[in-house]
Amino acid sequence: MVNDNKLARYDIDAIRHCRFDWMINKHGIITLLLFASMIISSCGKSPQDNGTQEMVLYSALPSKIRGLDPGDIGDVLSATVAGQIFECLYQYHYLKRPYELIPQLAEDMPEVSADCLTYTIKVKKGVYFTDDPAFENGKGRELRAEDFIFAWKRIADVKYLSKNWWIFDGRIVGFDEFREYTKSCEKAADVDYSRPVEGLQTPDDYTLVIKLTRPWPQIIYLLAHQPTAPVAREVVDYYGKDIVSHPIGTGPFILKTWHRGSYIEMVRNPGFRQQFYPTEGEPGDAEAGLLADSGKRLPFCDRIVWTFIEEDQPRWLQFLLGKLDSSAIPKDNFAQAVDMSQKLTPGMKERNIHLKTFRDPDTFWIGFNMEDPIVGKNKPLRKALSYAIDRSKSNELFSNNRNDLAYGFIPPLMKAYDPNVRDIGISYDPQKARQFVRQAERVHGGKLPQLKLSMPGTDTLSRQMGQFYQRGFEEIGLDVEVEYMDWPTFQDKLKTKGAQIFSLGWIADYPDAENFLQLFYSKNVSPGSNNFNYASDEFDKLYEKVITMPDSPERIALYRKAERLIIEDCPAAFLFHRVAYVLHHDWVLNYKPHAFQYGLSKYRRIDLEKRGAYKELLKKSR
Amino acid sequence: MTDLQSATGLKSQKGRSLWADGLCRLRKQKLAMLCFVIVAMYLSLAVFMYLAETFQWDIDVANWSEEVGDSYQPPTIKHPFGTDIFGQSVFRKTLYGAKISITVALCASLISLSIGVPLGAIAGYFGGIVDEIIVWIYSTLSSIPYIILIMAFAVVLQDKTLFGVKLTGITAVYLAIGLTSWVGICRLIRGEVMKRKQSEYVLAARSYGCPAPKIIFRHLLPNVFHIVIISFSLRFVSFIHAEVILSFLGLGEANRPSWGAMINDARIELSRGVWWQMTAATIAIFLISLALNIFGDALRDCLDPKLRTQ
Repeated sequence: MVNDNKLARYDIDAIRHCRFDWMINKHGIITLLLFASMIISSCGKSPQDNGTQEMVLYSALPSKIRGLDPGDIGDVLSATVAGQIFECLYQYHYLKRPYELIPQLAEDMPEVSADCLTYTIKVKKGVYFTDDPAFENGKGRELRAEDFIFAWKRIADVKYLSKNWWIFDGRIVGFDEFREYTKSCEKAADVDYSRPVEGLQTPDDYTLVIKLTRPWPQIIYLLAHQPTAPVAREVVDYYGKDIVSHPIGTGPFILKTWHRGSYIEMVRNPGFRQQFYPTEGEPGDAEAGLLADSGKRLPFCDRIVWTFIEEDQPRWLQFLLGKLDSSAIPKDNFAQAVDMSQKLTPGMKERNIHLKTFRDPDTFWIGFNMEDPIVGKNKPLRKALSYAIDRSKSNELFSNNRNDLAYGFIPPLMKAYDPNVRDIGISYDPQKARQFVRQAERVHGGKLPQLKLSMPGTDTLSRQMGQFYQRGFEEIGLDVEVEYMDWPTFQDKLKTKGAQIFSLGWIADYPDAENFLQLFYSKNVSPGSNNFNYASDEFDKLYEKVITMPDSPERIALYRKAERLIIEDCPAAFLFHRVAYVLHHDWVLNYKPHAFQYGLSKYRRIDLEKRGAYKELLKKSR
Repeated sequence: MTDLQSATGLKSQKGRSLWADGLCRLRKQKLAMLCFVIVAMYLSLAVFMYLAETFQWDIDVANWSEEVGDSYQPPTIKHPFGTDIFGQSVFRKTLYGAKISITVALCASLISLSIGVPLGAIAGYFGGIVDEIIVWIYSTLSSIPYIILIMAFAVVLQDKTLFGVKLTGITAVYLAIGLTSWVGICRLIRGEVMKRKQSEYVLAARSYGCPAPKIIFRHLLPNVFHIVIISFSLRFVSFIHAEVILSFLGLGEANRPSWGAMINDARIELSRGVWWQMTAATIAIFLISLALNIFGDALRDCLDPKLRTQ
């Protein structure tokens, strides 16, 4: 705070000096020009620095975001931004690990009936949407239980074309029928959202009753998932399709400016209800200073500014200049930031930069299309391809040895992760791979034809990774052509079952291994999420059994059994689980990495004095 | 004749054709000849790489995909331009890149000349509505920024099948460049043919009842061919640049090294201090660009009668 005051004073001093020059200088025009330019440079406002003592959080977005309508949010970046504006019934505890859900817009955790089919949720009273012309007199109205049902019905509406119907598909009594009804409507405007759905009831304004078609223990995670956030009907009616640019939620921040392709600016929601920083965390949090703000009212920051910076290098340099509060480490700058012992380099320490690492809930693989006549019908060929990939080398070349090598699909972050999976999983073994090639040739009945690997990108990294896999396959005598394509083309190829071998991954939506199991369920084959087009009666039976089970050791055992089944059938060669390395400046307080990082800016606090000191440090180093 | 010579005291002087005269002048320019040698070396290298790949010759320098050391090894005497991310020799990749660039430039030049020259000649000779249509087509094409047009063609042609042939990698690149860059030569030939179509030899051919195609291709084109040669040499270098740009943008050859792809790779490697891949590709492009430009200029000086100063 103190240093920012100083900065403001410097600006005023600059103007005073100009006035002084003006009075004593006889070359009026030149001085006038100088004066004008100094005024402009002193007073010009940019989202980066407006010279006030506000607590501002500066972040970067690596690409443009699609939109901020929660019902249609399907990408991480949009969810990260929208998470500051929209809230869900539940949220993840900021500090506790393993990840734990706590109420956000709900009064309490849900009441679940004995048959696990009815969930009764009390919605918090006194929660208001932010003020907006869409509401009567421009004043945001109180949140009601029906706002949730309206938001979910939008997702069910086929005319709305949400990509999030998978959340509710076949889960809620009468909801699939509502979706069918929307198909029969000619125009989007014809859909009657007041049409009742048996499984979604609101006995009063603050009670939500959800009736399920079958037990669904994961529902609680989905109620913390961004697309299930409430939406006010007035806002949808007022803005129509333009709602993607007018996000009106109940969260701690309000969208102020969105210069597409340039920056997004949010300001604190003045009407945000009383919410406080957590008072407990996991062991070590207190020592790390993460409980220093316990019980204090959220949010701490006045503004958030996200700048769109697509290239790694400019983003990295902006971080080093102190214009971004935190940053991931680009592959080619890793050695500059982290030493061989995976600790910060002295250069980073001198800048008071902190390193945080955490496991992402994801798995990446080379997938095989099980409906492909060559690869799908030839298990030894799939095994040969799996054994031919040198995962350690790939980790070294492309990820600076940051990632965990994958042997199965359940990431180490999950409770169901099997520590013994390494013993049964496939790792690099070219000798074994060649043996499997010979078996594969016998199965195929002759020399194997050229195979095709589809890569989801045309950038340098995708190309290098493609070449790396190709070299591995060539080493064991397989001829593989690599084709590089942009993301939409790649998606089309997967949806139409046109990819023979493909490189892909999955980032979990919630910390339950079920989110990975559904990727292999036969009813989810392309265009669904089962891009492998894998179908196994044994796996299906296991999956159908396990999805209705509550969290228990039996369920974990079944998850692991399903994983072993997949490893044996080999519809994919599992490669790695990402471990994120994040750097942040010392002025960012309460910084604890989170795998489900949506709506976390409210916990961050900025030490303005330290931020100012960094500027001085940079000046000295120059 | 002998009597006349002895009577006038003049020695017999054998006449020189435009080409012989041009070649004679060119030989006198040492710098141009040096550049010609450089260009010839690049062409030989491209042919050598092509043959080595086709007949799978087991020669180290042609085996660019071999892992010769650790990744990102700085230049040494053994590996003059160091190694890349996979430990492949950057020197070998640079040599192989010549094949890609020369192939693209050559094919694109041939395509653009085979479109631009006949169209220009037809437009210039017939005039009227034929000329207007051709001028309208090339005016429309040239109103679109060149690189954007090439990129659009490259994106559209990528992975498409044309007459049963799949357009992958450099095929799509040289087609894209060739199909979009014939406008300049078309204009030149059109103007030259318009100028020459009233020449005595054309009028004579016409009065003998010679058909128009024969007049164009038999009489007019050979007389304007020096323009084609000059244009070819100068355009060759711009086509190499276009290939580099397309490869840099990820629209070129994906599975084999090219100079553009090397520069694209090096872009992100520079921050970790890996400068050798960028340097190698840049030197290769610089040398051939410079050589072709100097040689092309000298060729124009020698072949264009208006520019002859000596």
